[in-house]
This record gives sequence, structure tokens and C-alpha cells, in this order.
Amino acid sequence: MSSGADRTGKAGVIVAPEDANQMEKLAHSVLDDLLYNIVHDLLLKVHRDEKMARANTAAIKIEKMASDASEPSLDSRPDVRIETDAAIYEDGKVLLKGNPLKTTKDILCPRCHLPRLLHPTDGKNAQKPDPGIIYCKKHPYIEKPGFDIYGQTWVAPGPGRGKKKKDMEKKLDPNDTGSPAAMEGSAKDRPPNVLSFPSATCSKCKRCILVTRLNNHMGSCIGNSGRNASRAAAQKISNGGSNNGSQNNDNTPPGSQKGTPLPGSRAASPRKRDGDEFDEDADESDPTNPKKKPKPNPLTKKVILKTKAAAANKKDKVKASSMLAVEQKLEDSKEATVQVAPKKITPKTGPSPAKKLKLGLGGKPNLSAAAPKKKKDRDLESESSETLSSPPR
Amino acid sequence: MSARPATPASPKNVKIKSPEPGQPLYGCEHLQRLFNQDQTTTNTSVAHYKAILRNILEISPANAQTAKSADGPAIITSLTSTYMCLQCPSILTEEDCVKHGSKKSHRFYVDSRSGALYCQMCDDFVWDPTLEELRLTKMATGNFATRKYKQDDLVAPDPIKDNPSYISTNTTIVSCKANGLRGIYNAGATCYQNVVLQSFLHNPILRNFYLSEGHPSSSCDIPYCLSCAMDDMFQDFYAVENTNGYTAANILSGFWISEKKAFENLVTTKEQDAHEFFQFLAEELHERNGDGKKPEIGSEHSCKCIIHQTFYGKLQSTTTCQHCGGVTNQVQSFLDLSLPLENLAQKKGKKAVKTASMTLQECLDEEYIKEDKCEYRCHNCSSMQQARRQTSIKLLPNVLSIQLKRFEFKQGRNERAAKIDTPVSFPLQLNMLPYTSRARTQDTSESFELARSCTYDLFSVVVHVGEIDTGHYVSYCRVRDQWFAFNDHKVELASISDVLGARAYLLFYIVRYLA
Repeated sequence: MSSGADRTGKAGVIVAPEDANQMEKLAHSVLDDLLYNIVHDLLLKVHRDEKMARANTAAIKIEKMASDASEPSLDSRPDVRIETDAAIYEDGKVLLKGNPLKTTKDILCPRCHLPRLLHPTDGKNAQKPDPGIIYCKKHPYIEKPGFDIYGQTWVAPGPGRGKKKKDMEKKLDPNDTGSPAAMEGSAKDRPPNVLSFPSATCSKCKRCILVTRLNNHMGSCIGNSGRNASRAAAQKISNGGSNNGSQNNDNTPPGSQKGTPLPGSRAASPRKRDGDEFDEDADESDPTNPKKKPKPNPLTKKVILKTKAAAANKKDKVKASSMLAVEQKLEDSKEATVQVAPKKITPKTGPSPAKKLKLGLGGKPNLSAAAPKKKKDRDLESESSETLSSPPR
Repeated sequence: MSARPATPASPKNVKIKSPEPGQPLYGCEHLQRLFNQDQTTTNTSVAHYKAILRNILEISPANAQTAKSADGPAIITSLTSTYMCLQCPSILTEEDCVKHGSKKSHRFYVDSRSGALYCQMCDDFVWDPTLEELRLTKMATGNFATRKYKQDDLVAPDPIKDNPSYISTNTTIVSCKANGLRGIYNAGATCYQNVVLQSFLHNPILRNFYLSEGHPSSSCDIPYCLSCAMDDMFQDFYAVENTNGYTAANILSGFWISEKKAFENLVTTKEQDAHEFFQFLAEELHERNGDGKKPEIGSEHSCKCIIHQTFYGKLQSTTTCQHCGGVTNQVQSFLDLSLPLENLAQKKGKKAVKTASMTLQECLDEEYIKEDKCEYRCHNCSSMQQARRQTSIKLLPNVLSIQLKRFEFKQGRNERAAKIDTPVSFPLQLNMLPYTSRARTQDTSESFELARSCTYDLFSVVVHVGEIDTGHYVSYCRVRDQWFAFNDHKVELASISDVLGARAYLLFYIVRYLA
């Protein structure tokens, strides 16, 4: 040990008591040395980054001066000699003068040659940047509760900021005060760092879907978790000779049987709200109803149901945010709704009028408000009730 | 003793790195003077520096840590750095450096723990482009060959190497703002996808593959190709000046359209297992980039595709018959290591209180060092026999993915799945040497090179919060030395203690030195 019989190591921070025995002293000394090494390594790393950045800055600066000095020549290594406090430019070479940590104070970005901002603009350790300087776009990351590393935050999926409005903001004239887009939470009132959830185009049907609903949408649009597919799968299973005698075995994939709650536990759920949910609910109503045996003619049923589901979806959108506006779809949807076997709808009518009521009375806020949040709830619920039997391993 | 040659081994003249724009030619004025004396001095200096690096990295650290001045009698072994003279074979303590310097006029010393060069006249560490390149190459590859794996800047554009004017007229410089740090929007219970995508995005090997046109989406004809979707995503993360969250619509549609059979149970709009998605994505990308063969589980599958090069390793299980002593070896490929927690947690639980914690290394010990008993049909005895079985890692992958099986399915009357919440501590730096087949067959305590080649650094952690059937995935990823917390679209700074305190579900380690 470099500290010999001393009571501590190189850092001198961890000191053994005076009356300590040799082993204790040694242990303290070793621990102290290790601490010293950790600090040494950290310092060396920071030192390397910083000193190399400053040395390169000195080089960038002097190369700029050299190329400015020999304006007309397009040669990448102009034949001039320039000397600054930090470096010498000669024969196309940059030679350091002195220690760059002392001679060079700022750091230039090696790529864009603009000065680096050295402190975050907000949050912890923030400093106001000099407004007269154009900085490199790579900024120190912001550390501020509620904001991300770029100082961004998101419109909370709370009342008055639901998806419908978001869609409107994109398509409607923001000056139209009559439109819901002009209400609180609209894009123009928000500071620029408050972002809203974007929409994306479904690669199959090319419709514009709010990102938070994209997975659900694709599930029914592309995927085979749509009701048709699950119906088809159920059909296959029941035809394929699964007669284990379980009461609702017939039209439920085995995977989701165990988790299916008792009939009624979901039927009265007040959560049903919008089109997509209808879509799913229609699925779920089948397994929950033990009376429903395999459909005698699943094909026709399917088609009808599909129209209804899609229609409900459309209707909802049109009502809430007249911009998806495939107007004739509205009529289609009405017809379709009528066509559907009434008994299928009746249990579902509960939420529908309620929704209308809300639309009429309070305007959008409530309706849209609930959507994203509720969606989460519903996911949780359906998760617990249906996928338990196939848990993530 | 150090095997430092008195004369440089190579007869060739050492060349100083050619000047590069935006970089000084030498580390400091004094080093410049040294290198400009004459060619012999330059040759010896560089040769000495190489010898010192070999001394530091290849043989027992006790050697470099022992100060043995050429003139003094004192021999001191220290835990802290010693200083190795660049101009003579002396190894000195920090205090003796000044004496040695004034006596011999030797002014350059190498830090024995890092290989960094210290200039006595600057009274500071200097980072000379020529010597620093040697140091990084040596540390990264184990030798001085100029294959370029720069430790900390794998994607740095190198505009001088090709015709600069051609490059500048045909490309746009990526904004300094584009750094790969973006959140991914949750498209409705897709956080299990987001965490895996983030771990792919911050995987340097995959990043370099996609950013170097490994699978250019412009020249791929497969509709809804997931590898193209990945390519687009890498472009959007690393080449676009957008800090808003990313909408992984293409990944999502590729995922929905995929006809993978093994994945059918995942295709719902429900919350899913991130590990299954990881396997799905890896297999899908293998199919798009690889030899087209299905990666069969349980067999030895070698493929040159990026996914195999990145993630796949090989396990060897050795079965020894207890009756006749016959040994059977079986080798199989693996995408990840799945470590059960339940047994170990129970074992621990018996000993200690309920809140027993364990370490990743304990879990690895259990699987890849300890033996277990099994029944097997022995060829020699041609009957069922008791056998001992031992599994070890035959080939380590470049990216080691570890799953901690926190989700356990309880058999029995109350069939249900349960989540094991036992904290498992995991290191930032993982030495995998003890779990390799080599460590089994030979003594590796003196193989420092081997140990270094088995060193892994943590770069991504996936965490599941909540219950078995519902919850949320968040992840941590490291970019250089800074950790970030990814929660869907939100990216925040994270401290190392945040990361190490997390109840990890998936861990991604990357090999420190690419061979």
C-alpha cells in the first residue's frame, strides 16, 4: 500500500480510528484507495471529453480563420499561417498552443461548427441562453418534473381535450369560433412545448386514426382479432369437434373461456361509449350469452353486423367531428342500424342516448374527455377478464 | 515483468495520424516536439506506448500496478494508478514522477489503470489523436490492427475518407438535434411493443446495421415488411429533427399483418408480454434479413443475418450417465437466456424472510454452473438411467438478452398466473466468463484477455409495473453514459440508481469489445 501503515488511502476520506488494529487500518486504506480510483476514473472521463472538445474547438476556429484569410482559393488546406492564443495553423496543420482547457472557453459542435449550449434552458441547472447567439441544435437535456428531456409536455387526456377535438384542430379553420376547436385546449392557445397526440393513417383502410386508438383499429381492420375473425375461429372450433360439454365452449376460443365473466357482469357496464367499443362489445356479447349456439348462418349475420359496427363507428365520428365527413355514410349507417337484429342492440342502447344527451347539453368536453381514459380502463378490464388464461409468461 | 522490447519490433516507420479537419495534429506542444525530433524517437515512443498498453491489458494488473523505478530500490504495489514512463521501462508512483522527470528529462507517463498519457510539462493528461487511437483500438479489439471500432462514436460520419465534395453534394447533413431519443406513442395497450422497440433502437449493432443501409426500405418489395418498418423507424429517430413521439404505425400494421403462427395468441388488442414480442420481432427480422430458414428452437441454427449476429448464442448441455459415465453433448442456439426466479426465490425464502432479494449472478449460477439430475436414455446402457446434466454457454452473443421469468403459471387446483416481484439486482457490467463452456474445461483465472472479451455492459432494461394481467411497461436505455427513462411517448433523464433499482423483466447487455 502506498499509504503504508497510515490509517487511510490516497483519497484520505475513509480514515480508520487511531486505535484500530492493522487489519482495520488496511481495510480502511483499501476502501479509501478504491474510492480514489472511482473518482479518478470519473474525472478522467470527463476530462477527456472536455479537453478533446476544447482542443477540437480551437482547431475548428483556426481553420475557419485560415479559410477566411485565403478567400478565393477553394483548396481545403489553404496555404497561410495563422496564430491564435490557442493554436497555430501552418501548412494545413493545426498545432495546439498551451492547454486547451485554459485557452479555449467555449465548445463548438464538430459537425455544425456552432457553439454548444452548455446549460439546459429549463428545469434543473437552467441558465438563460444568450439570445444573440445561434447555438448548435444539440441542447443539454432538461430535467424538470412533468416535462421530457426536450422540455415538452403533453395535453393531458382529461376533460375537454379528447380525440375528437384533436382531429378538428387539424382540419378546421382555427378562427372559426363556433367550432369546438376554438375552445380551451386548442392548439393555438397552447404554448409550443405542449404537444397533443397525433393521428396516423391506417395502412389498410387509409383512414386517419388517433394514435391511441390505432392498435384497436388495426386489430379490427387488419388483424384477426376483429369480430369476424373471432367468430370464424369460434365456428371452426365448434365444428372441429370440441364437444367437451362446457356450457359456453361452442363459440369461444378456448383461450378466452376461463376469463369470461358471468353473463351480466359486463352487460350493464356504464362504460360503453363509442363506436370501437360497440365493435368489441358485440364480440363479447356472444360468449357471455350461453343461449347463443353456433350461428346457423354465420355468413349473413356477419355481414350485417359488420355494417352496423362500422356504421356506429362512422356515425360517432361524424357527429362528434364533422370532418371525417363521408356524409352519405351517415345515411348508410342509419339504414344499417335498422337492419341489425333489434335484440342485439337493445342491451346496448343504454350508453347511446346518454352520449347523445351529453353531446346536446354540454358540448364535446365530456364525451371526448372520457374517451382515452376510459379506453385504458376498458383495456384493463377486458384484460383481466379475458386473457388471464393466457398470461404473459 | 513487462515484455517491453528494447528496440521496436516493427522495422516500419510509425506514421503520425494525418491531419483531419477540426482536430489538432498532436495532443500538446510537448508531444509535438517529441514526435518531430526524428523518426527513430517517434518509432520508439509509439512502440513503447504499445508495449505499455500490452502490459496493462494483457497480463496481471499486479504488474502495472507495481512501481519499480529503475534507479530506486523501492517496490510498491498500489491499488491506485502508477505512472509508466513512455521513454524508459520505469514504473513510478505519482510522487516519484517529478523526481524521475527532472533527473532523466522523461516527461511523458502512462496512467497504469487507463492507459491515458500524462504530460509533465502540461501537468495534465493529454489526448493525442495518434496515441489515443492506439489505446482505443487496443482496448476494443485486443490488438493494434487498424480495424476501426471507435469506442464511443460508431456512427460518426467520416467525410474525409471518400471524396468530400461528392459526399457533400449528394447528402444532407443530419441535424445535430437528431439523436435517436424519442418516445413512441402508445397505440392502445402497445407499451409492450414500445419497450422492445426502444431496446432495438438503442442497440448499437442494430442501429449501425440499419443506418448503414442494411435493409434499405426503398429497395425492398415485400409488402408490409417489418424490417422496412424498422428501417423507416431508425431513419426517423436518427435523421429527423423531431422531438415529438414517434407513431409506430408501420411496425404495428406489419405486426398485425404478419402471419406468424407462433404469434397467434398475441394478436389481440390486449396487453401482451414484451418478451414474446421480442421473440416475434427477432424471428420476423431474421426471416426478412436472413437465410429464410425458420429459427428452430432446440437445434443449432447458424445464420449470417443481422439478428443472428446480434442476439444468437449457443448453449451446450452435457449429460453424464450416472451408470456408465457416458457423456452426451448437445448444442443448441438461443436468442435469449430465460432465468427462472421461482425456485431460487423459494429456496431463499426458506432461509430468510419473505423479502429475500437475489442477484442476477445467482440466477445465472443456478442455470449455467450448477448441475441438475434428470432421467435419460443412455445409448451405452440402452436403458433409462439417472444422469447429471449441466448447461453452459458455448458461444456468447454480441447482445445478451436475459429474461427474468417474473410471470409464473401455477399449476394445480387454483390454476392461475402469478407475478414474482422479488427484486433481482443486476450489474451495469457483467462478466459472463464463468458461465461459458471454456471456463468449465480450463482454468481461466489468468486469462485476462478472455475475461475482457466476456465483459458485457448493460444498455437496456425493460420493467413491468403492475399486476400479472394488467400493468404497464417502461424501459431504460443508455446512450453513451447517460441513461434515459422511456415511458411510451415520454423520455426523461434517468440516474443509474433509478435503473439499478428497477424490477427488471428483460435485460439487454452488449459485449464491451467487438471481436
